[in-house]
Order: sequence, then structure tokens, then C-alpha cells
Amino acid sequence: MWDTLIVTPLTNVLLWIYKLFGGQFGLAIILFTILIRLVTHPLMASQIKSSAKMQEMQQSKKWQDIQKKYKGEKEKLAQEQMTLYKELGINPFSSCLPTMIQIPIIFGLYQSIMRALAASPLQLLTLTRSVYNLFNAPALLPLNSHFLWMNLGQLPEKIILPLIGTSIPNPTLPIIVAITTYIQSKLTMPAPTNPQDQSAAMGKMMSLYMPFLLGYFSLTFATGLSVYFITSNLVGILQYALLGKVDWNNLLPKGMRKETPKKK
Amino acid sequence: MKVKLFHIILGLLALGVLLSGCATGLTPSSWPGIASDGATVYVASATAVYAVDLQNGNELWRFPDKADAKKTFYATPVLTPDGQLIIGGYDHILYSLNPQNGQVNWQYAEARDRWIGGALVANDLIYAPNSDYNLYALTLSGAFQWKFTTREGIWSAPVTDGQWIYFGSLDRNVYALDAHSGALAWKTELSGAVLGSPVLADGRLYMASFDGVIFALNPASGNQFWQFSVGNFVWSSPAYKDGQLYFGDSGGTFYALDAATGTQLWRQQPDSPILGIPLAANNHILFGTEAGDLYALDAQGQNAWKLTVNGKLYGAPLTADNLILIAPVEGQSLLIALDQAGVQKWSFTPVKK
Repeated sequence: MWDTLIVTPLTNVLLWIYKLFGGQFGLAIILFTILIRLVTHPLMASQIKSSAKMQEMQQSKKWQDIQKKYKGEKEKLAQEQMTLYKELGINPFSSCLPTMIQIPIIFGLYQSIMRALAASPLQLLTLTRSVYNLFNAPALLPLNSHFLWMNLGQLPEKIILPLIGTSIPNPTLPIIVAITTYIQSKLTMPAPTNPQDQSAAMGKMMSLYMPFLLGYFSLTFATGLSVYFITSNLVGILQYALLGKVDWNNLLPKGMRKETPKKK
Repeated sequence: MKVKLFHIILGLLALGVLLSGCATGLTPSSWPGIASDGATVYVASATAVYAVDLQNGNELWRFPDKADAKKTFYATPVLTPDGQLIIGGYDHILYSLNPQNGQVNWQYAEARDRWIGGALVANDLIYAPNSDYNLYALTLSGAFQWKFTTREGIWSAPVTDGQWIYFGSLDRNVYALDAHSGALAWKTELSGAVLGSPVLADGRLYMASFDGVIFALNPASGNQFWQFSVGNFVWSSPAYKDGQLYFGDSGGTFYALDAATGTQLWRQQPDSPILGIPLAANNHILFGTEAGDLYALDAQGQNAWKLTVNGKLYGAPLTADNLILIAPVEGQSLLIALDQAGVQKWSFTPVKK
């Protein structure tokens, strides 16, 4: 079901782009990622809007007074929070729903790229069976996985370290993945409303380890994945920027940041 | 705060699924490779290479002794004249094993990708194709001699006439190299990727392109003699016997062609995809289908016998010591031995260690 409804249609869109742009799989990954990001943009925008409303509420004096008043009374605090949500017309799950819809699409996007790479005979067999009749699949497959200097179906090329003489996977793309992931999380992360906030601390932690994790994936999996990560990060930054939600100040070291006036 | 936390949990879940996607997305997988020296059968399947007694189907040894998910094997093992078993792994390492006990003689770890196709041993060299686009030539002690780079992965073993080696690549080309120096003699572009090994017979080089075309080329120049199209995927090269070529396609049709002209002689319709190269042995042409049917036809295409096994028959059958060996995928047994009439003699299922 997942395969029929999500992965197979996305794989065919990817193949369609691949065919349309002269059999350039790298270009197909980039355009495909942009296309999916564009399609899911309204969901993302709605999520950002809801999150902003929520953040506004959390910064409000009324909410802070309620927190002080019911400190230590968890149930009562939750009740008051729900009342305040109603008063301000906030649906607490309206910011989660778009995320929940986007997640399967993003997984499908990733899985369709991996499927199209078809790095072994059985994977190629699966791919041949995913292709709709619209395409002349026998002439199209397997895909040309060359893009610029990269082979998208392979691990990063090994380079020999000078002086040591040991060979390691070329870390250029994984480093770009890690940097763009870090920049994206720094630019798009809202300033914590409460320094004691556990979720803010977790968010900060994630923004630190995610770049390493995605960088590690890029080092240990096919290069096509790195192209997807980098495109996704750059398009993500652009989307936030278009919505006016990028805080460039966050890229500066703490001491150099300009103070932004707090909303009252 | 709770909503934010929910977002983070969703993010972590997403990451978890992404991680599992990474694991499954690039999990190497293929069908078993089998080889025999007339006394032992060697089967490369998933996490081990098994040595099985040809007389009774008992396991003699396995390599590695304990399964390691990072080491998987599907390439066809190859025996060398000086008593080595050469097998490439999906861990990017080419191993030389002692066929008597499975001990490692040497290993070559400089390739960058999987060893999907089997190697060719000739002229005291090992010609091993790798998915990293290179055909490697190593000495029998595993020392690098030369490599030849194509524009895509190489999934099948080369063939040789002693002077030249011929192989196909996923880059849609067939290459002829000098067997000693690796210098390119010629290359010919076909209409699709070449997944199977070429076949050299009657002064012609036969191979299939993935887009369903069988080609006959001149081994001296790479010029085309004839071509025959079927319109479905063709996964492996045709088998040659007595002036006839035999092959199957993904649409479930099995063909016999006149090797000299490429004219169709007859065809059969088992209606289940045929992926493996047929086996032309004794009086029969044998081929397996995805439905698990093993067909034995005579040279006129008449059905001699048919056997249905549990599993999918993607790989090529093999004959050794008057037995027919098949290795089903997703079946109850890893290896099944039949007599020439299709009667099962034994089966081998590895014991989990």
C-alpha cells in the first residue's frame, strides 16, 4: 500500500524528470526535491504560521502569569493552557498536522531516489516493476548515475591522505551536507521563549547532532543521497527566507548578534 | 511546550524511519552464485559462501564461519587452476579462499564497490569486474596488474579467447581488451546496458542488452553481424549449443535463434519471467522461471520435463557430476540437486549458526 501509493508514483515522477532532462540523474534528484518541496510548501507555511502563533502565546504576559499561578499543579496548568488556546483561536495540533503529512512524502521522496539508484540485481528487478507503462522502461533502465564529477550510485571516492598514506572516503560532499544542515537549523530555529524549556534544549541538541548524523550518512551511503540532502537543505532555507522566517543573526557568534526587540 | 516536544518526537521518528530506509534502500541483494569442481559445490548466498558435498548435500564448510551482515556474497565463485576459490563480496573485497577448508589465502580490498559479477581466470590472471566501473586484472596471488575503467558498473564476468577478453558494462558498451596489457582493442555501443557475460562461439560474440536485443558481433572488430529484438528486459546472455542460441525475457517467453543469422527458430511461453542464462547440457536446454519452474526442453523446443520448486529461479542452473544444480531465491532450500530426469537427489538448507 505504502509502495503503491507513495514510493512507486514518486519513483515515476523522478523517472519522468530524468527522461525530460536528457538522462541526468543528478539534475533529476535536484529538480525532484525542489518539486516535492514546492508541492508541500503550503503545508510547511501553515505549520510555520501555527508555530509562530503558539510562540507568540508562550511569550505573552497572560501565559507567563498562568504559569506562575499554577506552578506545581500540572493538571490545572494544562486546563488553563487549553482555555487560552481556545481564547486565542489556536489549535495546538494545527502545527503538527502539516508535519505529519509532510513526513511520509519526504520518506517517499528519499525511498524513490534510493530505488531509482538500483545498486544490485534484485533492486534493479524491483525498479523495473515500479515503472509505469507510460515509459519505455527497457530503454530507460538502468539509469545513468553520472552527475558532474560524481557517481551518484557509489560511495564517495576514496582519497589518499598526504603524509599518512591512508585512504579515506572523500569528505567534501558530507562536509557540505553537514554545513548546510547546520546552517538550516540555525537559521530556522526560533529563539527559545524560556531558557528552562526542555523542548528548546532538545531542539538545540538536535541542531548540533543532526549535521553530524547526516554528514555520516553521506559518507557511508551512495552520493545521490548527499545531493538530495544538500538540495533539501538549501531549498528549506529558501522557503523559510521567502516566508520571512530566517534569522540571519543566528549565524553570528553570540557576542556579535544584534539584539532583536522582544514582543510584548 | 508539549506541542514542541511532539514536533521533536516526530522529527526523531522521521529520523528513525530515514535510518531504516538507509538500511533497506541500499541493502545489497541478488540471487546465489554457484560453481562446482565436480566433487564440491560452492554457493555464494547472502552472508556466506558454502561448500557442499556434491554426493549428499552435506555442508563441508562456510565462509565466514559466523554471519556478519556487512559481508554478503552473491557473485559466482570461480576456481583457479592452482587451487583457489575466488569470490567477490558486497563488502567490496575480493577473497581468495582455500577450497578445502574456506580459509582466506589473500584478499584484495582496493575496489570501491560491490563484486556482483564472477571473475574470469585465464592467462595466470584473475579478471574481476566491479560495480565501481572497473575491470581489475590481478595475479593469482592477488597483486594488482591493471584495471580498465568503463562509464558504469560491470555486473558480469568477461570471456576470453586467450588473446582478447570481452565483457559488457552497464554503460551499454561491449569492450574487447588485450588480455595481457588491458589495452582497448575496440568497443561497441549497444542499445541498452549489458548485464550478462558475452558468449563466444562459432567465431561470433553473442550478448543481450537489457532493453531486449540480442546481438551477434565480430570478435575481431566489434562490428555487428545481426540483432534480434524482443521488447522486454533480457537479463542475461543467450546460451549457445550446436548452432542455436537460447534465451528468455522478463515477459516469460523463451526463444531459440539460429546463431548464424539471428532468425527465430521457435519460442515457448512459460508466462513467468526468465532472468538466468539457460543451461545447454546433454540433450536438454534448461532454464528456470520466477514462478519456480525448471523447464527441460529438447533442441526443437519440446518439453522433456518440468519441475516446480519452492522459490524463484532467477539464477542459471549448473551441471556437475551428472547432476543439475539450482539455487532458488526465497525458497525452503538454498540448493537443490536433480538427476538428468529432474528427480531430486538432495537439497541443502544451511543451519543457522
